[in-house]
Amino acid sequence: MRTEQRTGVIRDYDMHSASVRIGYGFIVFCCCVMVVLAVFPLLWVVLAGFKDLKEFVSSTSLIPQSFSLKPFDTTWSQLGIAKNYLNSLIFVVGSVICALIFNGLLGYGIGILKPRGHKIVKRLVMLSLLMPTTISIVPLFMNIQNLGMGNSFAPLWLSYGANAMYVILFVQFFESLPVSIIEAGRIDGASQLQTFFHIVLPLSKPICAVISIFAVNAAWSDFLLPYLVLRGGNLQTVMVRLFVFSTEQTVNADTMMRSVVFSMIPPIILFFIFQKQLTENAVSVGIKG
Amino acid sequence: MHRQKGVLRAKTTENIKSWLIMLPGLILMTFFVWEPLFESVRMSMYKTRNVELVRFIGLDNFISVVGKDDFMQALANTFSYTFWSLLLGFALPVLLAILIGETRRSKGFFRTAVYLPNMLPGLAVIILWSAFFSGEKSGVLNILLGHVGVAPQTYLTRSDWVVPIIIIIATWKGAGATALIYMAGMASVSPELYEAAAIDGATVWQRIIHILLPSIKKLAGTLLILQIISVFQIMYEPMVLTKGGPDNASLSLMQLMWQYAFGGSMNYGKASAVAVIVTLILLVMTAIYSYFNRKESDWD
Amino acid sequence: MNKLAETVSLLLSLCLLLSACPSALAGSDEVIDANLTCTITLGNWPPDTAAQAEKDLFEGYRAIMARQYPNVTLIPDYYSYSLSNYVPMAKGGTAPSIFQPPFTDPQLLISQHLVGDVTDALEQFGVLDKFSSSYVEMLADENGRIYGLPRDGYVLGMHLNLNLFREAGLVDEDGMPIYPRTLQEMAEYGKIIREKTGKAGLVFPASETYGGWLFTNIAWNFGCVGESALEYQDEDGRWVCNFTSPECIAAMEFMRDLKWKYDILNVDATTTDWASAHTLLGTGEAAMNFAADDSVDQPTSNKGLPVEDFALIPFPAGDAGRYALAGGTCYMFAPNITPDQGVALMAYLKVIGKLPFLDEQIVAGMRADYAAKRDRGAPVIPAISAWNDEEYNAAKQAIVDEYSNVDMRLYADFFDSITDGTIALKSEEPVFAQQLYRELTAVIQRMITREGADVVKALRNAEESFQEYLDDEINDY
Repeated sequence: MRTEQRTGVIRDYDMHSASVRIGYGFIVFCCCVMVVLAVFPLLWVVLAGFKDLKEFVSSTSLIPQSFSLKPFDTTWSQLGIAKNYLNSLIFVVGSVICALIFNGLLGYGIGILKPRGHKIVKRLVMLSLLMPTTISIVPLFMNIQNLGMGNSFAPLWLSYGANAMYVILFVQFFESLPVSIIEAGRIDGASQLQTFFHIVLPLSKPICAVISIFAVNAAWSDFLLPYLVLRGGNLQTVMVRLFVFSTEQTVNADTMMRSVVFSMIPPIILFFIFQKQLTENAVSVGIKG
Repeated sequence: MHRQKGVLRAKTTENIKSWLIMLPGLILMTFFVWEPLFESVRMSMYKTRNVELVRFIGLDNFISVVGKDDFMQALANTFSYTFWSLLLGFALPVLLAILIGETRRSKGFFRTAVYLPNMLPGLAVIILWSAFFSGEKSGVLNILLGHVGVAPQTYLTRSDWVVPIIIIIATWKGAGATALIYMAGMASVSPELYEAAAIDGATVWQRIIHILLPSIKKLAGTLLILQIISVFQIMYEPMVLTKGGPDNASLSLMQLMWQYAFGGSMNYGKASAVAVIVTLILLVMTAIYSYFNRKESDWD
Repeated sequence: MNKLAETVSLLLSLCLLLSACPSALAGSDEVIDANLTCTITLGNWPPDTAAQAEKDLFEGYRAIMARQYPNVTLIPDYYSYSLSNYVPMAKGGTAPSIFQPPFTDPQLLISQHLVGDVTDALEQFGVLDKFSSSYVEMLADENGRIYGLPRDGYVLGMHLNLNLFREAGLVDEDGMPIYPRTLQEMAEYGKIIREKTGKAGLVFPASETYGGWLFTNIAWNFGCVGESALEYQDEDGRWVCNFTSPECIAAMEFMRDLKWKYDILNVDATTTDWASAHTLLGTGEAAMNFAADDSVDQPTSNKGLPVEDFALIPFPAGDAGRYALAGGTCYMFAPNITPDQGVALMAYLKVIGKLPFLDEQIVAGMRADYAAKRDRGAPVIPAISAWNDEEYNAAKQAIVDEYSNVDMRLYADFFDSITDGTIALKSEEPVFAQQLYRELTAVIQRMITREGADVVKALRNAEESFQEYLDDEINDY
């Protein structure tokens, strides 16, 4: 297993020095502390979920009195969270598809096709990154209502097809692709769209994976626009419910913590499935920025 | 001559086709980003009655908004957020990256663990941490302090603590992910370089200062500006955690914008004015940044 | 004085009503109007998180509606009103047909044409002249058109956790609480409770706008009424705010003392909202909470305090006044409702017992409501009626008595003080109350988080800021 050369500043032979070994011990200790800091709040919220209201408010013990799953079961069925999970799933899947197709095509135009005037678009997209999006939520919501798209997933899905960040990530990736391969395709007489789907996309699996992961995470966590658009309907997502709970004070604090647990389970599962892609690919994309 | 014309025509049709391919994305960007932003800028110069524009009043909204105490407070707070965010949130990921990068075993485990909080929904994170900073005896930090014999404290009622607390929560969520970006940047340094430096007698510390840190200089600059942009837009964190209190000590500019729009007065004109001001500040900061980095940036 | 005349006119109108509208007292199973065809969305439907009993109750209402108006479709659409999310919905045409805003907002909504007119529908049901004139004033425009109906009135008082009173020795030989009659006593008793039990004497929800809301009542009792009112209209018709009267300064100094002199407040007052205040009282972390008669189910059935450990007392008096804030929520309607929808909505309100009719179905509804309350451990106490209809009110009281699950002595002073006039009811400050509360909340937060904060300076700043707001929004509009 020693075939790969060690990375890092501390080299093997440094470890002979006592002071470096002590320092190294300290590094490992710090890393362990970090792990505890990162994981402890999650463990705590799960433990808190076992408490009832009185215990949650008054108890000075981190460990609940009972480990019965009943409170979770009650919250789950009483609040009908299964339905919200399904809604979130639909929302997330549609958002990812839109994020890939629309941002990908725009990125393809800016990064590879580069028609006359594409620089303006590129600059506009860059500038959009800087703009606080929250203020425009009111005019945006009015637009959505005026088109009669309220209380449906369509506007939310499409909103993920207009993400400046994703466009820029695509552009950066496309610009790094070897021009020769793309031009070879073009000479074969393939149309621009064919080139995109047959040559560019297959080469772009890493960036697509990364943007999918970003979009999944963003869509799952999204609540402001979904709250306005999906309000009242049967389409509310998990995070919209959580936001409603936090603003409308209709659920008790203990139920709130269990809802937090439910909202975190899917991202955590996803995280453990894709941890390698997340901690390696996602990061190496970010670095090019 | 004829050939050139043909090329020109082909070029034109190709241009048109290219624009057609970009069209769906452009329409969506227009509908979801550009038009609403434009509308906001327009609204900021109008007297509004809920979402209707009553009459054009030029810069009156801006004058009225800027002249108020709460704007100055929010502006100061937002810079305070930025300060704490740079103090706590900027160096920490670099430190994490160095620490994890130096571990010789279980590196993957450490990476995974510090990245985990980044996956969690922001709203859930804020609600979770609100229980940590509760001033009641049942607040998680108070319980932990109790185990080491410290009396219960209050946290969110202290006007000089709320901003750092909110930044601590944001850092808890984001630092690990940023650290991994730095780690990827640091990986670009060839191990031979360290070997060579070591043979020349450079200590571990010297190698960090002279080789490792310079390797992430450009990356750090980019992340710095991104961090400032994002912390300038901080809004729902104080909204959910403290509602801007105590005594507006955690009120951010974007939250002030939200209050104008949705806090009971429905003054979208003034709300838009605040948002436009935030945008202008960000533009200026970005311009300054890209001025100092103009050689390296290929984006302008 | 003219109680008799009033009764006579009531009887007359009742007779008129009976003859004009024979279906008014129809049994719940009879079809009333099969031709009325429309769909209404109901924002007052209980949320998914509500108790099952409450949800069943509304399903029962829906079944009655289905029999009486077979072609009216009811769509449950739970909606927790807030001004911020309502406006875009009303503009976009997606507001629920019926929703329940607090009494602070109707005039704003009416003036901006964001709510629907139900005057004609009310006339059809013969109840137009029955609600008290103060409500008519709140819910009508300048032409007398009606846009809303009172839902439930409330009067602010104080909730007590009797366990903590007992623990602190604040009970008489009968086990009744020795409770504070004045704000001064409240501070002193709170201190005793803090010392004896280690819990907060008073929970004060000082987040966002709640703090200012409660503070206005305290300020009234310090004398901020009449010439010293927090806001008033001068001779020129301009709205003027006055936070720096000696009375208001004294009231704010009292707030500061509650923290720094008596130390009776809950630790996180600045982040405590309405629900967490009830939680702290209900779970025994605080002994007193300024709250109204309509939220007695919060600390009890919702947060787990047994009804026998709970009491409701009048709002403590101040040196210069005995006021209690009276208000409530109303029903209002989407701006785009059709006349048919208006009628269907009134029919629905009649079914859920919110119009002043007492027929078997409404009595049954009330019984079901009180039974449900008793079952889930919420105190069954009389509601303060928003209708000027004595017969109706008396009959309602009789039903309450049947289901009573509480020792009414724990509530008697509260209700007596209202009927015998020892407490004067006062509605919220007239204009832009939410913004006024927000400004005052910020001052309160400053007072209770900074020892030795300058009361006058903080109030003057808030006054300037709110005056500017008034100038912008009304005076110079």
